[in-house]
Amino acid sequence: MQKLTCALLVDDDQTTNYLNQLLLKRLDVSDKLLVALNGQEALDLIAIHCQGATAECPALILLDVKMPVMDGFAFLEAYEKLSLLPAHRQAIIIVMLTTSLHPKDVERVQKLNIAGFLNKPLTREKVNEVLKNHFDRHLPEE
Amino acid sequence: MSSSQPTPAALAREIEELRYQLEEAQELIHAIRTGAVDALAVQSAEGPRIFTLQGADHGYRTLIEQMSEGALLLSEDATVLYCNAALASLLGRPLGEVMGSAFGAFVPSAFADYWAGLVLKGWQGKSRGELPLQTTAGALVPLSVSMNVLAFNNMPTLAVIVTDLSAQREITTIRAQVAEQNALLDRKTAELKREEAARLAGEQAAAEASRLLEGIPQIAWTANPRGDITYLNRRWFDYVGWENATGPDHGWSAHLHPDDVAATARQWQQCLGRGAAFEVEYRFRNRAGDYRWMLGRALPSRNEQDDIIQWIGTCTDIHEQKLALERIDYGQRQLRENNAQLTRVNVDLDNFIYTASHDLKAPISNIEGLLLALLDELPPATVHTEPVQPLLDLMQDSVNRFKRTIEHLTDVSKLQKEHGHPTAPVDVAAVVEDVRLDLGPLIQAAGARLEVDVQAAPTVSFSEKNLRSVVFNLLSNALKYRAPGRAPLVRLRTWPEGEGIMLAVQDNGLGLDTASEHKLFGMFQRFHDHVEGSGIGLYMVKKMVENAGGRIAVRSELGVGSTFSIYFTR
Repeated sequence: MQKLTCALLVDDDQTTNYLNQLLLKRLDVSDKLLVALNGQEALDLIAIHCQGATAECPALILLDVKMPVMDGFAFLEAYEKLSLLPAHRQAIIIVMLTTSLHPKDVERVQKLNIAGFLNKPLTREKVNEVLKNHFDRHLPEE
Repeated sequence: MSSSQPTPAALAREIEELRYQLEEAQELIHAIRTGAVDALAVQSAEGPRIFTLQGADHGYRTLIEQMSEGALLLSEDATVLYCNAALASLLGRPLGEVMGSAFGAFVPSAFADYWAGLVLKGWQGKSRGELPLQTTAGALVPLSVSMNVLAFNNMPTLAVIVTDLSAQREITTIRAQVAEQNALLDRKTAELKREEAARLAGEQAAAEASRLLEGIPQIAWTANPRGDITYLNRRWFDYVGWENATGPDHGWSAHLHPDDVAATARQWQQCLGRGAAFEVEYRFRNRAGDYRWMLGRALPSRNEQDDIIQWIGTCTDIHEQKLALERIDYGQRQLRENNAQLTRVNVDLDNFIYTASHDLKAPISNIEGLLLALLDELPPATVHTEPVQPLLDLMQDSVNRFKRTIEHLTDVSKLQKEHGHPTAPVDVAAVVEDVRLDLGPLIQAAGARLEVDVQAAPTVSFSEKNLRSVVFNLLSNALKYRAPGRAPLVRLRTWPEGEGIMLAVQDNGLGLDTASEHKLFGMFQRFHDHVEGSGIGLYMVKKMVENAGGRIAVRSELGVGSTFSIYFTR
């Protein structure tokens, strides 16, 4: 399977980040893994890695909802306003990772301009789904 | 015959003649008796004989001098030739002054013409009349006069008899005055009688009113149209104490609560001005010094002319009612506050459950993830050795149970939110069939038989998702709590009942003690520990049913089976 160039994990929970990093490494999905502890850090990383036509720009962002400093919703609002090359913007797939959602949050999530959302925890199957739906590739059979 | 026998006409004439002579004689006799004439011509066989004063005897003269009527002789030029003492006294002048004077001097000028007429007529024969004469004092004396021509010493004179009428007049006047006085008295009496009657009627009415007002159990009062208290019944005096009911208003204003004075006065003045019914709630201090709430009411009382004659009012003690109302008001306010607080708490609780389930989910997901990661790291040989394998299994079980509990919590809080969820007619048979498929493995494993009869009431008005949940819970419970030793038989039936639909699920399972029915439907209650269960199912069922206005009941016998009945409103 052709690996993604870069994936960005955004979650304030260090354990979640550790497990997801572990999973993605084991599945060998991406060349590079970036980790941000909140929306603001994620924005900063995007600003750094998506300058010019570099290959460092993350192709997949796994975004948590509840985070301190800047939560998932605020990140998406800021992301919309970010000046990005159209090529980069088109290449970036954002998937929200949630736990149980408050009904009004479900409504909010559904209105967002994102590729999709997944219930935690992240598993091999869920990663494979994302790859199939958005990158037209799949994990090798175990 | 004809010469000796007079004709009836001649006889009549003769009779007439005789009657005339008789009348004349009678008149003369009357005149002589009354002294109206001084000279008499008496017919006799020798011809008429004239009797004059001179010719009269001394006794007759004395009579004239002494009689009470005035008498005088007037010459042709109206000089008084003679007068008696009575006339002089009538005029209040000495005899000598009257005699020889011109009589006209005594006649008031207003009667001069009348007098002249009388005299003229007298000279022609005789005349009569009434007129006043002037006395020396200036007073007028009413007199009656009668005149006759009389030859006196061969000289014609006018004899005049004067009768004093003043006494008669006085009597008449007095009579008139008496009559007038009497009439006045009569009028006064009548008026007095009327006044008395009116007063009596008024007193009677007032007495009646106060008797009535004394009889009523409330404080009663009357006021005049100006608004001043005119009467208060005994209740008032009993209420404030007789010793305190002082002043013109019997302590009325002194006992009114200071805070009620302004509003009461305003209202009272308005009603007085408009003649409108008065109604107010105010407090009066009683003998013990406590203020009690009274309902004051008054109506104007009007007369026939529609004028207000007085106000009649009452004060009814409403203290207890007022306090009760205030307590109720306070209670309702408390209830509203409690309600608002409960609503806030409920919202907080909902949010708490979401937050808690989110915050609990993340670490349990992590634990599960870490467990899986650990499994990957451990050499397969180690994983399958004692006691690692059972430890790992127990850990996974605990994680699963934790996750399920969180799921249930989330479900429950979702259910609260669904309150007022729109309902639609749902096909019961279709829902039951769905559930039967879901429960297929369990049904097969237990060798259970499911009988469904929903012909009598094929649809119920409910949320389809919730009906599914209800049926799933009841059927799975019936299978889970089956009695060992006999194949489960589960009957699901519906039928119309009253205004709604009844759905019953009957099993032949373990049965349970229905004495603790409230616990049966409580959250996280479990009756049997040998079967996997969350203790949340029946709680959810009850909530769903009750949120939609229905109810759930259970009938059960240990060792025989249970029947759960759900009533759905239409």
